[in-house]
Amino acid sequence: MQVNSPENFTENVSEALAQPNLKKVIRRTTDKAETKRAEAVTNFPEFENARLQGQKIKDHTIKYMDHYLAEFEKNALAQGTIVHWASTAEEASKIVLDICRQHNAKKVTRSKSMLGEEIGLAHAFDNSDIERIETDLAEHIIQLAGDPPSHIIWPAMHRSREDVVKLFREFHTDPTYSEEITDLVRSARRDLRTKFLTSDIGISGSNFLLADSGSSCTVTNEGNAELTITPPKVHIVTAGIEKLVPSMAHAVPLLRLLTRSATGAEITQYNTFHNGPKRANDADGPEECHIVLVDNGRTKMLAENMEAMLRCIRCGACMNHCVVYKHIGGHAYGSVYPGPMGSVLTPHLNSLKVANKQTHACTMNGRCEEVCPVNIPLPTLLRSLRAKSWQKKYEPLTNRFVVQSFAIMAKRPKLFQLLSSCGVIFMKVFSRKGWIKYMPFTSGWTRNRDLIEPESTTFMHQYKKMKKNKSSGA
Amino acid sequence: MTQKYSNADKTQSNTIECLNISEKKVGLFVTCLVNTMRPSIGFASITLLEQAGCNVEVPELQSCCGQPAFNSGDDEGTRQIAYQTIKQFENYDYVVLPSGSCAGMIKKNFIEVFKDQPEWLARAKHLASITHELLSFLVDVCQFEPNDVELDGSYTYHDSCTGYRSLNVYEQPRKMLSQVKNLEHKPLNNHAECCGFGGTFCVKYSDISNEIVAEKVDNVVDTKADYLLGGDMGCLMNIAGKLNREGHKEIKALHTAEVLAGLAPELLGGKDAS
Amino acid sequence: MTKHINNPKNELRRAKIFNAIKAAAPTVTTDVKSIEAEALELLKESEFARPKLLSEDATQALMLRIEAGLVIGTSCEKISTAHDLPNAVNQFFSKHFLPKELKVQNIEPLQKLNWEGISTDVDIQQDNTVGLCWAEYGIAETGSFVVHSSPEMPILLNFLPLYLIAVIPKSKILHYMDDYALIANEIAKKKETPRNMCLISGVSGTTDIEGVLVQGAHGPEVLHLIIIEDQ
Repeated sequence: MQVNSPENFTENVSEALAQPNLKKVIRRTTDKAETKRAEAVTNFPEFENARLQGQKIKDHTIKYMDHYLAEFEKNALAQGTIVHWASTAEEASKIVLDICRQHNAKKVTRSKSMLGEEIGLAHAFDNSDIERIETDLAEHIIQLAGDPPSHIIWPAMHRSREDVVKLFREFHTDPTYSEEITDLVRSARRDLRTKFLTSDIGISGSNFLLADSGSSCTVTNEGNAELTITPPKVHIVTAGIEKLVPSMAHAVPLLRLLTRSATGAEITQYNTFHNGPKRANDADGPEECHIVLVDNGRTKMLAENMEAMLRCIRCGACMNHCVVYKHIGGHAYGSVYPGPMGSVLTPHLNSLKVANKQTHACTMNGRCEEVCPVNIPLPTLLRSLRAKSWQKKYEPLTNRFVVQSFAIMAKRPKLFQLLSSCGVIFMKVFSRKGWIKYMPFTSGWTRNRDLIEPESTTFMHQYKKMKKNKSSGA
Repeated sequence: MTQKYSNADKTQSNTIECLNISEKKVGLFVTCLVNTMRPSIGFASITLLEQAGCNVEVPELQSCCGQPAFNSGDDEGTRQIAYQTIKQFENYDYVVLPSGSCAGMIKKNFIEVFKDQPEWLARAKHLASITHELLSFLVDVCQFEPNDVELDGSYTYHDSCTGYRSLNVYEQPRKMLSQVKNLEHKPLNNHAECCGFGGTFCVKYSDISNEIVAEKVDNVVDTKADYLLGGDMGCLMNIAGKLNREGHKEIKALHTAEVLAGLAPELLGGKDAS
Repeated sequence: MTKHINNPKNELRRAKIFNAIKAAAPTVTTDVKSIEAEALELLKESEFARPKLLSEDATQALMLRIEAGLVIGTSCEKISTAHDLPNAVNQFFSKHFLPKELKVQNIEPLQKLNWEGISTDVDIQQDNTVGLCWAEYGIAETGSFVVHSSPEMPILLNFLPLYLIAVIPKSKILHYMDDYALIANEIAKKKETPRNMCLISGVSGTTDIEGVLVQGAHGPEVLHLIIIEDQ
């Protein structure tokens, strides 16, 4: 699997922009998501109330996180779930692998989980002798293709139907020779059916953890979570500690927001609450259930005034509406979480030093905050990360020099006015027919667009002259 | 006034304030892009404010709103610039800027950098409360209607992000432009999607910015409008620069204030307003 | 099992996370009563933060929602008593040109019915089968039916067949998801939460290939809800 690094963001962007079809395939998905979300919000006049309630529910749980974590643990244990704690991604994936090894698992099925990606589960299994089977159709496609996910809701959005045809013909035991999308989905259904039923361990993530019962909630349209979890003997849940809510009644308002914001649908087909191993005489279900509660930077976010980000319910609306994401796609970010939410999360999961370039890849247009179902002030958080990396001097020296020089001028208005006048004279030298096609020090601008020619003198110069004329005339 | 606003409370309080506008002193912050690149927007602003009955002054010791420093994360640099701006403008009754982006900087962002300085925080909050974007100020506060302006042709409108999302500037320019004789409106597809300017963004990530503005230009060209209008010099420079690079010289970019002040024919004829 | 719980490394990692939370928010109260009161207060807002139903009557709202095509791949009908069920199932077979084979959930109200002429010996692990289950609840807001795992309710019965029929007693149709969640909260208080509580709102679908919706991704392609009035 070729995975980009967040550190090479600039290079990743150039690669992404050079791909001729990337923008088209991204737009196909994000434009639809944008339109459908807008419709869903229009059809739900109470949306503003809902998102305020959603925000409050998350804030409440984050505020009392230690209380709710302890409650969750107590209730999960009471149902027979084995509770594990992991401070880091490495710890978390090691715990999961250890459980699989203890059970001599040969095959594990996984339902899509961004946390699973975050803690590097896919990679960990691929480096072991345990076969990993992704059951979400998109994850299945990118597993066959050897790609990392490019979106948190549609991880395979960068793959075309033609790609899928090739992959399925190569890898499915009973492939279809049709290129119809319905037939392709059937081919995957056939291929995965036996895999579901013969898996040793089912691994899922969780959209919500209910403190009052110790349940974890999965949300899917395919129903692959239940098929992943039910047949095998062992179920392992991996979940970030921020997934907590007090009870199911608190998860419901967030479910209303999640689906509408993600796909524009009013509800996801399968919302299932999983609670421990099968009870005595239950008709089916796993005999053993583990949950791994993962920190991996979340308490650091609490400590660094980034707790608003812990509200995130991973709907992907911010990336669907981001002009930058729409042009560079998910892989360029070099992180499991792309787009605006990813640019805020990644510095905490990785480090700000490695992932500060993404925080600048934003025009501060505010669209992400406008559509966020839990009112996360993403631009404000991104800017606060810029302020942190400024203090730590992570930016390239030339950027710092330019910004600092500008600030030094701007705090001295007389000097600023003088230099503005000089700037106008300088620009005039390079102007032809009202436009500047090239000028030293401005290649960032003139590489891609022309610069309008300024008027002959600055506003302030003209204004002073006008006032002088007026007073001498009077 | 019968038009609808998304922010009804704000409009109401402004309506009460505006009863004796002529007694109020308005400080015009021209912004650095207008100062260096397009002075005519500054003069158009003065004309319109005076037509609306305001007593306008332009403090000479003004520079930049501080956005490049703020958006780069340089809080100390932002404060140094903000001290100047606060001192220069805090004693006016109103401060008006012909830019949503720069008005938003003063209204929303100054308070971010003064969190730990109570005295300056109070002064920044006061300045924020008297600061307005030009087009919304003319309509919401002055209840201004443009008089006797004419422009032949059609326009399309780019809503700049800060004005649209943070300051509720949407209806006001459209309302005033609807009163310009012979001028027809052609709606822009994705009218409120960012043009890719983003201040320092457009030079830091020039190639991403380029892809974004190229799309914006496609949308503008599709309208077949004669003029591209907007309320922010940054966006206009960006879109106009790309339009020109792509050879669409037939579409002229103008600031809404220039049209409303009747400067358009002069600007379109010769490039210098003065 | 207990070896995991008493694992000293696990205890250390647990302590590390709790300490980090406490260090980040040192002033937070731990008075459980006030936290619970605050949590309850938040639920009062639900009334103003949920969509209007298509009818004040829950059953009608649920049916209108399905008839309007708002629940993917789902149809519905109302019958007066459970005895009409075999007939309704036969009509379902005809409508979809299916052989008369049905996996009936092993639950008394379904098993006692007269299934003459229908083969009920079906292996649901095979594709192309029809399943019949008895739902715990219906939810008007989302057009959902709810199943709880139990000795009589294999969860896979709802996921393996390509065709699924779910029976919902009219008296168990709730207005909102919140109404069901409050019931679930009460079950949790009694420590009686079943292993699985599934809210199913439509068929198994995917849009993962070029954004095109395909029904029957892994589970049912067709879902039919039958509401029984006298229940």
